[in-house]
Amino acid sequence: MNDDQRWYKRAVFYEVLVRGFFDANDDGTGDLRGLTAKLDYLQWLGVDSLWLLPFYQSPLRDGGYDISDFFTVLPEYGELADAVELVEEAHRRNIRIIADLVMNHTSDLHPWFQESRQDRVNPKADWYVWADDDQRWPEARVIFIDSEKSNWAYDAGRGQYYWHRFFSHQPDLNYDNPEVAETMIDVVRFWLDIGLDGFRLDAVPYLFERDGTNCENLPETHEYLRRVRKEVDAAFPGKVLLAEANQWPEDVVDYFGDGDECHMCFHFPVMPRMFMAVRREQRTPITEILGRTPSIPENCQWGIFLRNHDELTLEMVTDEERDYMWAEYAKDPRMKRNLGIGRRLAPLVDNDRRVAELLHSLLFSFPGSPVLYYGDEIGMGDNIYLGDRDGVRTPMQWSPDRNAGFSRADFAQLYLPPLMDSVYGYQAVNVEAELRNPSSMLQWMKRMLEVRKNHPVFGEGSFEVLHAENPSVLAYVRELDDDIVLCACNLSRFAQPAELALQRFEGKVPIELLGRVPFPPIGQLPYFVTLAPYGFYWFQLVEG
Amino acid sequence: MPLPEGVSELLPGYLARQRWYGGSEPDDLRILDSDLLLALERETHRLWWALVGAEGARWQLLLGERPKGEPAEFLQGREEAVLGLAGSAYYYDGTLDPTFDLVLLQLATGGAEEAERVRPAGVEQSNTSLVFDDRVILKVFRRLVEGPQPDVEVTSGLVDAGFDHVPRVLGVWRRGGDDLAVAQDFLVSGVEGWALALTSLRDLYASPEADPADAGGDFQAEASRLGQMTAAMHRALSAAFGVFRDPGRAGEWADAMAAGLHHLRDEDPQWRSHAGSVVDGLRQVSDPGAAIRVHGDFHLGQVMRTDSGWYVLDFEGEPARPLQERTRPTSPLKDVAGMLRSFHYAARVALREQAGDAAPGEVLERQAAAWEGHNRRAFLRGYLGYPGVDELLPGDDRSRSAVMTAFELDKAIYELAYERSYRPDWIAIPRDAIRGLLGAA
Repeated sequence: MNDDQRWYKRAVFYEVLVRGFFDANDDGTGDLRGLTAKLDYLQWLGVDSLWLLPFYQSPLRDGGYDISDFFTVLPEYGELADAVELVEEAHRRNIRIIADLVMNHTSDLHPWFQESRQDRVNPKADWYVWADDDQRWPEARVIFIDSEKSNWAYDAGRGQYYWHRFFSHQPDLNYDNPEVAETMIDVVRFWLDIGLDGFRLDAVPYLFERDGTNCENLPETHEYLRRVRKEVDAAFPGKVLLAEANQWPEDVVDYFGDGDECHMCFHFPVMPRMFMAVRREQRTPITEILGRTPSIPENCQWGIFLRNHDELTLEMVTDEERDYMWAEYAKDPRMKRNLGIGRRLAPLVDNDRRVAELLHSLLFSFPGSPVLYYGDEIGMGDNIYLGDRDGVRTPMQWSPDRNAGFSRADFAQLYLPPLMDSVYGYQAVNVEAELRNPSSMLQWMKRMLEVRKNHPVFGEGSFEVLHAENPSVLAYVRELDDDIVLCACNLSRFAQPAELALQRFEGKVPIELLGRVPFPPIGQLPYFVTLAPYGFYWFQLVEG
Repeated sequence: MPLPEGVSELLPGYLARQRWYGGSEPDDLRILDSDLLLALERETHRLWWALVGAEGARWQLLLGERPKGEPAEFLQGREEAVLGLAGSAYYYDGTLDPTFDLVLLQLATGGAEEAERVRPAGVEQSNTSLVFDDRVILKVFRRLVEGPQPDVEVTSGLVDAGFDHVPRVLGVWRRGGDDLAVAQDFLVSGVEGWALALTSLRDLYASPEADPADAGGDFQAEASRLGQMTAAMHRALSAAFGVFRDPGRAGEWADAMAAGLHHLRDEDPQWRSHAGSVVDGLRQVSDPGAAIRVHGDFHLGQVMRTDSGWYVLDFEGEPARPLQERTRPTSPLKDVAGMLRSFHYAARVALREQAGDAAPGEVLERQAAAWEGHNRRAFLRGYLGYPGVDELLPGDDRSRSAVMTAFELDKAIYELAYERSYRPDWIAIPRDAIRGLLGAA
């Protein structure tokens, strides 16, 4: 594997649900060996890094985010040796692997909590956040408003309340206890030793609690992250910390610190804005949010995505915009989940391939490292009638064979049924068919990733929005030394003209990047382009 | 310094071809002043400045000169901007010449601003604007007024009053007491309100039977924010230029409107008397609200949606009205009426795009009316909900509505006269509006 320590600046990530990817032992649930078996496919597609959802021991009451042993692999997924093999095989193919790590809380079945709840004097008594009443920190909001009423839950055994920012079966760890702080760093060391390339740190803003605050983004939390970073840099150079902090960009940047906290943070608000821009057929929702995105330290990078395993997150849009997104994308109230919308990309855009491609073109050319969600590369659908967030976690559709080629178990044994409807079902949408079809979404995606890989400017270049009188046209320039890429797209369902102010590049020749077709050179006059409905161009500007 | 020989003979024909002049060849053209501003390329490329009188107004010209036969890329497709040959040189609109423009910017800002690149800012009705490095816009006034240009005066006043939704003034080019050009921040992320409204309407019209509130391109939130910005602008205008509560101001407004009623002479004869009653209704309002300095020509083409909200441009008032009338304090509802009229225009213009000359059909008609009403309400919600704007408006709803209707009608009659002269194809738009306003009154 290459030893580029800044790999994450240019990488394309692929979020994969181990449970849903491939079942190697025919028990109806995907596993680590199944993922290893499909690494050739991922290498062919051209992704640089996988992001695995939690694969630790867990009662699975929250998709594995309720961890009951940080040092053990969930038996359904395999054992530690399988994880080691996966990492080695991935590295042989130049693919890195980062994994979810939940630092904020554990499952209530974790032995630590079981011990802690016994009484007030046991050795783990202070490992969680206990109180005699449920009144403290009233400023902290309840995040899972659909299922939780309070951040406190009563434990009859101990006769006290414990603090939980998420589900009540997920008690928050007490980071004011030095043993907890140290033990969690041991967890990090353990997995990096095995070869993982980094972590996506789940729910980082909530590690500490302080009176008179909303208990989010506290200085103590940042201090702890700096400590983790220091340990990682010292012993494991080139490993990456990616923070999940669903906040406005001006607050999220704090998690980069001075380049001494997290290497990457997700940029949450840009995602709903991309959908909104297409719906409104105008660029303002996008340029507004990119305009208010602060610059970040040179060794840091945004993570951007269209969809992930969670809902289309709307926490970070204003009420008015949230109502608007709901009205547009979730006419069926079942689709509303917490403050978001539980849909996959294809159904979200009415299965319009042009829109899906346009949105991916934005994802691949905006500042940041794109994160794909498994199945979106073939245009998979969802099943909103499955409970909670399972609707977007159905089995990967490999072929038109039984169980979508995902598993040879009995159908009834599958962790979730594969999609079988006539539009998105595995008979119609699957990897095998799309591999054979040169014009498939999958082949298009592979081509886009190839082009992106050839131009580090997409990962590391500057970003400048160009003036265009037509509100439906979004044009921007990415620049890295003499690698200059001009992107222009049409957010409207109608064909649109645009005159672009490109005088700065007078004399250069635009080469369309997917077909390498040269366009007329840029002159003194505004550069005229015509864009098909939802069309986009990527041009490399070269010396004429 | 006088213009080279033979140039003045080319001017009447040139003027008649300019949109900002908007008239036929003048037969009373006089050169009031002229100067040589620049001489480059061993004095073969020259930029001349001239102030000419024609048809009772003063016009600013910037004329480029190049040797006969020497090509200029920037003149391609711009035949109307070429004056023609005089002696061994040809003459053209000097603002099209990037070399000259870069120097003009320095002149206008006293050397404070320099740029590498320039481009024209698109077609305009009354001025010529140039954009430098997508950062600065230089507006060259064509028709000069006596004293400061209202645009410069008002923009500066608003900024001083703390209103930051106008582009900052970076410099003014003055000569002999006249404002010749103004340099301002260019709103690079800006999109004209008119273009946004049409985008919303095209989306609506392409979704048969859809209600404007359900359509993807719903404009309501923008309209409401635009209303808020308008109210903030009026608060700032009243802080900068004063609040006037002269008794009899409603009568003055009514008098000015009554003078415009003759434009209805070729219309349904009943309209004139009905319109007269609307104007009398205004005259009788006892509490018509304050008079303040207003924008004066407020419509969707004068506002820009930027990444930091709506901005407002061009405080020159309606170009066809005399300066004194344009700068006279009046009701802020004049601007409100102007914007509401603009919503109507947008809905109808987008309808013409869909249907061409054919009748648009019932569904589209209904959608057009629904879009207008929906956004009209949103705009007014934003405007009337803005803190403190009440103090400038009539106290009770009846007076408010009487004043508003009168200003909307006045605007529609002005539009009728304008369309009759310049765009007879569009005359149905104000005509329908007048019919509606008189029917409702």
